[in-house]
Amino acid sequence: MESPSLQVSKQNVVSKVKKPKERKIWMTFKNVYLGPIVAFIIFIALWQAIPVLLGLKHYILPKPTDVVEATIKDWDLLWPAVQITVIESVTGFLVSAVVGIFISILLASSKILERSIYPYAIILQTIPVVAVAPIVVIWFGAGFNAIVVISFLIGFFPIISNTLMGLNSVDKNMDELFTLYNASKWQRMWKLRIPAALPFIMAGLKISCTLSIVGAIVGEYVAGIGGGKGGLGYAITVAAIQVKTPYLFACGIAAAILGISFYLLVSLFSHLMLRSWHESAMKVEK
Amino acid sequence: MGVANEVVSFNHVGKTYTGGTVALSDFHLSVKEGEFLSFLGPSGCGKSTALRMVAGLGEATDGDVSVFNKKPKEMIQQTNDIAFVFQDANLLPWRNVLDNVLLPLELRGGNKKESKQTALRVLEMVGLKDHLKSYPRQLSGGMKMRVSIARALAAKPRMLLMDEPFGALDEITRQTLQMELLDIWQQENMTVLFVTHNVYEAVFLSSRIAVMSARPGRLSSLIDIDLPYPRELSVRTNPTFTEYVDLASDHLETSSDRKEIG
Repeated sequence: MESPSLQVSKQNVVSKVKKPKERKIWMTFKNVYLGPIVAFIIFIALWQAIPVLLGLKHYILPKPTDVVEATIKDWDLLWPAVQITVIESVTGFLVSAVVGIFISILLASSKILERSIYPYAIILQTIPVVAVAPIVVIWFGAGFNAIVVISFLIGFFPIISNTLMGLNSVDKNMDELFTLYNASKWQRMWKLRIPAALPFIMAGLKISCTLSIVGAIVGEYVAGIGGGKGGLGYAITVAAIQVKTPYLFACGIAAAILGISFYLLVSLFSHLMLRSWHESAMKVEK
Repeated sequence: MGVANEVVSFNHVGKTYTGGTVALSDFHLSVKEGEFLSFLGPSGCGKSTALRMVAGLGEATDGDVSVFNKKPKEMIQQTNDIAFVFQDANLLPWRNVLDNVLLPLELRGGNKKESKQTALRVLEMVGLKDHLKSYPRQLSGGMKMRVSIARALAAKPRMLLMDEPFGALDEITRQTLQMELLDIWQQENMTVLFVTHNVYEAVFLSSRIAVMSARPGRLSSLIDIDLPYPRELSVRTNPTFTEYVDLASDHLETSSDRKEIG
């Protein structure tokens, strides 16, 4: 008769003995990760159930299992397409980063240059790149070059505007400190303005890395070529014409994963660059 | 009282900002070599404006300022003789302690090995030799100010300009730093110009106090502090110290009364 109460006390002992470290991991898991995981499972389950319940055809709304099936079946098409898109967007991103930062430094080094050119940089930024994409195709020909240029154009302006803002955001007292030590224009640039702009530049890179994937995919819509040289955007247009909806979903998810990974990678880079000193990186450290 | 050892001269200096605000009016003062001179006054009395002019940060609209018989701007461009300590430590957050102190030497383009030795020497002087690799955000307010002072000393200046350097620190840290500053001042044979609104601080540190009044900022009186150096913290309980504090406070009050009547 006394066994239930005994059991309870035993459980108590066991839970107390549980190592505090294990418990901490469980607490963070419960507080941080459990919610999103449950939400994800519910989402997938609903997605799986709704087409069945409503009797939707798989080319209208494919079930998750259809998408997985299509991914496995067409893996030989999907994987090369992903690789090509990665190369295009990374190239576009790197070019926009290098050119963007270089031009910003050049503009910031001369008030006259900056005043005369910066307004146009802002106006150019508002032009939807999709609208000029065909012109890029005429100039560079369909294929890799045109796609990289489109990806570059889309990623370039956030970097320019962020870098310029950063280069001009130097604390007045620090600027005076450099005046007191008679710093030259380029000393000021390298030792003060560029380091001060680094958090801004990093923010620009984060925006532009995801945009460069958008650019690459849009570029492939208008300038993509087949024959095993097409990226995700090209695969999407082809699949859309053939109404291969499950494969379209697979392409979309692949693009999303690409975007997220790219963003995380650039965030990691930013964290490494700023971790010793900047507040935005400090919080992550804690 | 020869003119030879005059290091700074304010010659009827006035400063009017473009909005019409008069920051400084008919400010006339001569600073002698080796002095510890404080500018004491309420906010808006132009004490910082006057100090900044000595460093060539901002120019007089009337009269002129000369430093070591030259224009401040020339001094800044040609020599390392003037160093400035800002109110907030003003350290570069992306540089560690050592690199922050090395900055002036880097900008002036000195020998790297010698620069490092100098930096280590001044860091030892302010008691931060064990924190070379720390970043500013890891330091307390007092430690940041120590780095800032070390940085100012690195280029071996003949004159140290300090703009309310201890204003943001707690009382205990402030007292320690005041003592250390006096030690450094005596070791390095510098002239120190020190801006403060704290009467006790001014009396404790200075060999002379320039009391200033506000709107328009002008010099209201000069007080010589005849207390011997080195000064210990116990000086504060000395009756003469208290008398000086009363005197300086009186001058401050009368100058602010005058402002209210006018």
